[in-house]
Amino acid sequence: MTAPFARQRYLIDYTLAALARRRGKNTGLVVIYTAVVFVLASAMLFASAIRYEATTVLADSPELIVQELVMGRHGMLPAAHLDKLAEIRGVQGVEGRLWGYFYDRANGANYTLMVPGKDAAEHSVGPGEAIIGEGLARSRGFEEGGALLLVSQTGKLLKARIKSVLSSDSALVSADLALISEPDYRRFFELPDDVYTDAAVAIRNPREIEKIVEKATYALPSARFVTRSDIARTYESLFDWREGLLIALAAAAILAFAIFAAEKSSGLSAEEAREIGILKAIGWDTGDIIAMKLWEGGLVSLAAFLVGTVLAYVHVYLFDAGLFEPVLKGWSVLYPDFSLAPRVDGLQLATLFVLTVVPYTAATLVPIWRTAITDPDEVMR
Amino acid sequence: MIELKDVSKLYNEGRPNEVRALVDVNLVIERDKVTVFKGPSGSGKTTLLSIVGCLSRPTTGRVFLGGDLVSGLPERFLTEIRRSTYGFVFQRFHLVRGLTVLDNVMLPAYPLAPPHAELRERAMARLESLGLADKAAMPVEHLSGGETQRAAIARALINDPRIVIADEPTANLDTALTERFLEIVAELRAEGRTVLMTSHDPRIWQSDLVDAVIEMRDGRVVGEF
Repeated sequence: MTAPFARQRYLIDYTLAALARRRGKNTGLVVIYTAVVFVLASAMLFASAIRYEATTVLADSPELIVQELVMGRHGMLPAAHLDKLAEIRGVQGVEGRLWGYFYDRANGANYTLMVPGKDAAEHSVGPGEAIIGEGLARSRGFEEGGALLLVSQTGKLLKARIKSVLSSDSALVSADLALISEPDYRRFFELPDDVYTDAAVAIRNPREIEKIVEKATYALPSARFVTRSDIARTYESLFDWREGLLIALAAAAILAFAIFAAEKSSGLSAEEAREIGILKAIGWDTGDIIAMKLWEGGLVSLAAFLVGTVLAYVHVYLFDAGLFEPVLKGWSVLYPDFSLAPRVDGLQLATLFVLTVVPYTAATLVPIWRTAITDPDEVMR
Repeated sequence: MIELKDVSKLYNEGRPNEVRALVDVNLVIERDKVTVFKGPSGSGKTTLLSIVGCLSRPTTGRVFLGGDLVSGLPERFLTEIRRSTYGFVFQRFHLVRGLTVLDNVMLPAYPLAPPHAELRERAMARLESLGLADKAAMPVEHLSGGETQRAAIARALINDPRIVIADEPTANLDTALTERFLEIVAELRAEGRTVLMTSHDPRIWQSDLVDAVIEMRDGRVVGEF
């Protein structure tokens, strides 16, 4: 073993012995440190995973949605508008959509009732059939093969056989969803045949979307046009806001930790200072002391970082981030109950590392350095 | 040879609690001899030893070691001198609690990074010669006063220093242990080492082993015998 390596080995030996000697204090430190890393890592992992989930779902959404505005509010779209849209060059197809909300007095929850699109063959439902989201199934105890029973405000009864329960893959946006056939939908909401909630427009060349919106605005002056990127931006800002909330919580934890680190950086205990004085007196130089303390800080912070990150991973991906769910998943009564696909982002981990390990190590080095450059006699007195 | 020229030391300089620990000390300490500094508490003995041992710097004056000026050297050179030239036995021994006797003895050699087996063997040999081999694996806080002193001596000798500095080494020891300590000093002298000690204890400075006694009072050298 070469001298520099052997020297580091001796320093590590000493560091491990020092950590073991102050077992209680160091255990407390690692626990606090781990808790901070855990909160921050959970926030980052969860926000990233949920954003990914939203992006995945949005990838299948229409390029352009057209809504009718009546006095500035969303009104029903006349079927005749679909023909006008279809005539615009560059439009590949237009499909009228039917969707709406239903307030269920039985459990005080809002459901989204929707007629599946024509290209969603795997979700096609016939009259008297329904496909429901897992949140709805869970809250009302519905099962596949059972009956979905809803009574409208005017007393209309919807009775449909539950064909299937949607998988949790898209639970973020489908937890409170019920897919029913067009005839059932129109009957339940007493909706005439010549109107739709809105229209989904498929575009041949997505690069031309702005031009098509321009033409459509001319053709349908009372309509509003929402592009896929508009929706993505809305989702993005929504999740940014929620992530921001959580980061604010994490920031409080970091602040507490910073106070702790600052307290540590303001001075060493008399025992620690004396030990440094002894080591210097018997021949250790300032570099040896700092290297030893770097190992100490590195081992403590690395242990806390690894344990905190692993715990956060388990919390987010195995226990569905139970601690943060209400903050991050929105205001819906039926919270989605889904497992996020495990994703580890190297950049996020690096950020987390920089936010936690580096400040702590730097904070602890300052008093060590100050003590290490002082005459040993003065430190030991 | 160690030479001090016009050495003064102030603690808390410029503050209300300023202390003049040494005042214009001029002194020559011969090599390969046993020199004892005596005097009442607060006379500056410990401060003098810490300046000689490069543990602190004089406020004014110069310190020469083997003819070389050392008092103005940067810290890294002073560390090198401490490591290679001096072995220290502190008044309160200052062993690192929680570590074993063997680990404490090996500590000064860590920065030199010798092969571990060789260092261990060297440390065990030191403990053996001081009658502490059977305590090697024991945490130092479990040692008796005499054993702690011998462990501190073993640590001081691990890097084979030319000069051994001991500050009140027998302050808390009974007569038998003091005599044992003087035997160790005799061995060190026989090995050709320079030994510098402070002591209140007449048994030390009246011993035949001691070549020179320097008396101090109020930070000044008041007599050399």
